[in-house]
Amino acid sequence: METDLSRVTLRPFSLTDAHDFLRWASDVRVTGNLRWQTFTSEEEALVFIRDVCLPHPWRRSICIDDRSIGFISVFPETGDDRFKAHIGYGLSHEYWGKGIATRAVSIAVPQVFNDLPHVLRLQAFVQTQNKASQRVLEKVGFQREGLLRKYSYVKGEIHDVFVYSLLSSDLLPLP
Amino acid sequence: MEIDSCTLKAVSSSPSEKIHLRPMTLSDIDDFMVWATDINVTRFCTWEPCTSREAGIAYINSFVLPHPWLRAICLDDDRAIGSISVTPVDSIRGEIGYVIGSKYWGKGIATEAVRLVAAEIFKEKPEMERLEALVDVDNIGSQKVLEKVGFVREGVMRKFMCLKGNVRDMVMFSFLPSDSLL
Repeated sequence: METDLSRVTLRPFSLTDAHDFLRWASDVRVTGNLRWQTFTSEEEALVFIRDVCLPHPWRRSICIDDRSIGFISVFPETGDDRFKAHIGYGLSHEYWGKGIATRAVSIAVPQVFNDLPHVLRLQAFVQTQNKASQRVLEKVGFQREGLLRKYSYVKGEIHDVFVYSLLSSDLLPLP
Repeated sequence: MEIDSCTLKAVSSSPSEKIHLRPMTLSDIDDFMVWATDINVTRFCTWEPCTSREAGIAYINSFVLPHPWLRAICLDDDRAIGSISVTPVDSIRGEIGYVIGSKYWGKGIATEAVRLVAAEIFKEKPEMERLEALVDVDNIGSQKVLEKVGFVREGVMRKFMCLKGNVRDMVMFSFLPSDSLL
């Protein structure tokens, strides 16, 4: 069934997303690759939205019909490195394989460069076996720069990752 | 365009002079000043050339002595001609960096120093899974050093590091405990 991708929108999280948030954030298929914990209760979700999502420099809920089905985060580094920002995203499993993550990241990228004008480089580190996420980044126009061996230490495991980047200078100027 | 002197000379496969590594101390200050004031040496370093002996002493006290792993690179007479360090990035990764006085370029000294560190560091730091190096795309001499030792060139990270106010493309290299030294 084709999903009408115009139904995909991004917006900041709100506390009222806690129930929908829990639906996908309790799913280890979604959280397994992330540094995020796997959530187990609406209380945990509420606290996390309040204490982490709301004050976050740039985090958006991926929505269909304004209901949260995932997230995109952009986290700039600090000090001299603040021109670099890490992008990460997660999507409810029932919405995989429909082009939604690609659409969401495509919407996010120009917004991010506009909202965070000091950011010159967006980067993503994707585990080598996570081919679906690699395809999302490639479709959006990220460049794969290389394979970083034993680079990522997440939840007690060490992984090889592909590093991808998109520079603000990669974006075509608006006509 | 400025030509780096070490790219013009052939680097020998083994150094013409034997080197060893040892901890640096404040008594190395005068030898330190020789390379730390040299603009050719600091070209790809994040720091500017040192402007006074007092500033050099302050740098040794505040950065060199407390560093978790930093060694002077010495010739037979035990005088320091440069330094090499491994800085933890996180619990499993360390970043190698090195600086050699320009008078000693082109003799395979940096290569030998990096080789010594790559051979020993994983025994000293068994938690380290990855030794990495970030080299400016224009710093061909340093890229050759790492390649000669057996580091793997993983790719060019675009606009990855801010060097003296300019955002630079950097080449990422790594060496793992399972890799072979060349």
